[in-house]
Amino acid sequence: MENAIEVTGMQKIFGSNPAIKNVSFHVKKGEIFGLLGPSGSGKTTTIKILTGELSQTAGKVNVLGEDSKQFGSTGFKTKIGILSDNSSLYERLTVYDNLKLFCKLYNAPLKQIDVILREVNLQEEGAKTVSKLSKGMKQRVLVAKALMHKPDLVYLDEPTSALDPGNMAHIHRGLKKLNAAGTTIFLTTHNMEEATALCDRVAFLHNGELQEVDSPNALRYKYSTHAFHVETFGGERLVIENQAENADQIRELIASGQVRAMHTDNPTLGQVFLKVTGKGLV
Amino acid sequence: MHIQRITAIFEKDLKDFMKNMMLLTLPLIPVVLALLYTRMGEGNEAFPVFLLYIIVGTTYSAVTSSSMMTMMAEENEKKTLRGLIQSPATMMDVIIGKSLVTGLITFIALAVSLVIVDIEPFLNFRVILGLILLFLFFLLLGIGIGLFTKSIAATSVYLMPVMFLFGFTPMFEMLGLNEDSIALKVADALPIMQAIEIHHTTSWIPLGIIAVWVVGAALSMYVCFKKTMTDE
Repeated sequence: MENAIEVTGMQKIFGSNPAIKNVSFHVKKGEIFGLLGPSGSGKTTTIKILTGELSQTAGKVNVLGEDSKQFGSTGFKTKIGILSDNSSLYERLTVYDNLKLFCKLYNAPLKQIDVILREVNLQEEGAKTVSKLSKGMKQRVLVAKALMHKPDLVYLDEPTSALDPGNMAHIHRGLKKLNAAGTTIFLTTHNMEEATALCDRVAFLHNGELQEVDSPNALRYKYSTHAFHVETFGGERLVIENQAENADQIRELIASGQVRAMHTDNPTLGQVFLKVTGKGLV
Repeated sequence: MHIQRITAIFEKDLKDFMKNMMLLTLPLIPVVLALLYTRMGEGNEAFPVFLLYIIVGTTYSAVTSSSMMTMMAEENEKKTLRGLIQSPATMMDVIIGKSLVTGLITFIALAVSLVIVDIEPFLNFRVILGLILLFLFFLLLGIGIGLFTKSIAATSVYLMPVMFLFGFTPMFEMLGLNEDSIALKVADALPIMQAIEIHHTTSWIPLGIIAVWVVGAALSMYVCFKKTMTDE
């Protein structure tokens, strides 16, 4: 499969402070790729380099077949959509007028506005002035703005922050639909459930270094102790290693009818992240 | 340059302008000043050219530069400019789209003000060319400062020198300074004074000097815009 993003030996140094240290990864076309890391890990710097807002100090960055020197070109910008922490809306204008501006800038058909407003569950709010919207609604308009022109690649920096679970699920469905239609999605999130549910692969970024890149399930299995956790009706908790010599012990426990619950030790993505980085997502 | 993108930015800015009370009141300043002028003096005496240029300077500094500064600074402050930069719109599309709105408002304010006082001295090709160059100078100055300041509140700090130095330059003549004073010599080289000079000479040099000011303002605006394009 062709790659939408190829990063080789990327470094970014601000003054004497290295923000990104020799990072290499790729994102396949049609993939949902999650970049996870705590604040200050270098996620935003990475997105800024990938969108051309910053240039890398060293290394090669190629997006949709274009070298980083071409990231400012109109042709390149038409192919990508961006929702970053810097994204904003014109507060005095209506939702419709905001989206109409970007529809025209990206040369997308105006009928796309109604389609995307339905996708983000804002079909009734088009005529409302942006300043009168809640934070969550504004976030959904920003998502709509990033996706409206059906980009080949979309960068989403914390797309569902400030959203309630219902609207988060709505946005997730929209992103899955967009991805099924062929759009590559590169997202950063603090929400590990979101990353597990959405991403084909995730990368852990910590102190500007890439720690792990793989699918959420592969990482969970990799960092699993593979032990069985057993809870008996008597309140006893047992940890039994997943080894052939323990098979009889497990069989006996089940046969005795004492087992209230038994599950394997598969850590959540958040727990894997803690193991890898020794740090939580703050 | 892309006509559809320029039109989109023009439409957006015009709608935004019409909903912004602060910007909407700016064009009234030269109009009110012109109405006050008509109450001055006696009989049907013609207004001295330098007095008329105080209206021109007020229009260009208080309407053109000020509205452009405010619009750009607001885009910067609210981070909406980043959205435009990330879109396929080029630097020229953004600047032209915004300038069309400012140009339209400036033209209405200037035409109404000059009709109220005396538009006759301005009905001359060289004078009109001078007015267009002056407009470009104040416009580019406004864009550059707007990009540089980063917040609407900070624009007032920069607007004052623009108004007093470039907008109200003809008032320097009324300060009673010695004709040989350096202050007057410097003031004479400023764009508005050169525009006044066009009325008193057939030479193209004053237009050339204003054009140099325009190029200077364009260069400073270009540097500010380039800085805004990236986060380096």
